[in-house]
Amino acid sequence: MEEDEVFGEKTFQHYCAEFIKHSQQIGDGWEWRMSKDCSDGYMCKTHFKIKNATVVSHPGTSGHGQTCLPLEEALELPSDDFEVTETAAASEVIKYEYHVLYSCSYQVPVLYFRASFLDGRPLTLMDIWEGVHECYKTRLLQGPWDTITQQEHPILGQPFFVLHPCKTNEFMTPILKNSQKINRNVNYITSWLSIVGPVVGLNLPLSYAKATSQDENVD
Amino acid sequence: MAEEQESVLQLLPSSAAGGEGLTDVSPETATPEPPSSAAVSPGTEEPAGDTKKKIDILLKAVGDTPIMKTKKWAVERTRTIQGLIDFIKKFLKLVASEQLFIYVNQSFAPSPDQEVGTLYECFGSDGKLVLHYCKSQAWG
Repeated sequence: MEEDEVFGEKTFQHYCAEFIKHSQQIGDGWEWRMSKDCSDGYMCKTHFKIKNATVVSHPGTSGHGQTCLPLEEALELPSDDFEVTETAAASEVIKYEYHVLYSCSYQVPVLYFRASFLDGRPLTLMDIWEGVHECYKTRLLQGPWDTITQQEHPILGQPFFVLHPCKTNEFMTPILKNSQKINRNVNYITSWLSIVGPVVGLNLPLSYAKATSQDENVD
Repeated sequence: MAEEQESVLQLLPSSAAGGEGLTDVSPETATPEPPSSAAVSPGTEEPAGDTKKKIDILLKAVGDTPIMKTKKWAVERTRTIQGLIDFIKKFLKLVASEQLFIYVNQSFAPSPDQEVGTLYECFGSDGKLVLHYCKSQAWG
């Protein structure tokens, strides 16, 4: 493995491969795609959510303030306390696509994503911001342009939203340093995605956390 | 069911550490949990259900994050990660622009809505769940 200061593309691909291995085991839907000339690759996943147009208070939920109800892998959330009081009449299905690419300039992975209704209408940046989880909303709305921007997908050339990577090193470094200290391998992609994913509605099942420590390959 | 109270404090939902005399958190060398005066405040959000037990959580700081004077907490199973984050942030007096992350296995951040009870089932050992926390100016 390369030095942890330099997260190179090969390392990126290696961790993605490990990540996808586990994804396949649990049917989480992540795939690897190559660019046309096979020089670059990225990881991607498509995910559907139901969004209710009616805003109804959610007394039974644990602090879940957003109107977007995740139609999620039921493995994750114990739904005992979760009372669905809205009718399905006003709901719409939204298709989310998440792409994980490598940024050469920042030398970190970057999360690209886009969302559209089933008829193809894309969600606006405003829709996206509103869909951000409560706990990140305050910070995000203070300076949204710092964090979620719209950019051209480096490989597909289409407009995507991007979670800006400039601070990635800052929150990843303590984890990596710590893992060195305790002499344990950490899947960079798994850790990183577990942190940034929830900001944009992507939650990783807990089994990924265990997969990392189990599949410890000695490099 | 009375929990051991010498070093286990109940997680207070809103005001942090009310009336306990725990003011400034100064970094200290990691010591085994000192027997602190446990002001047990019964304030909980959820109605006291028989089936809702508490689990023990041990909080460990990562990086430059301030160490909490009280590291061991009894938390209701249905408390979410987000709730825990809010609590620690208040406890450590972090400003709004500082983000706090919580990890299991020292490397994986559970999603904010994840309940600690579930985490305990998956990652707990020796009767407790060890969570690492780290502050960061993650965005902006």
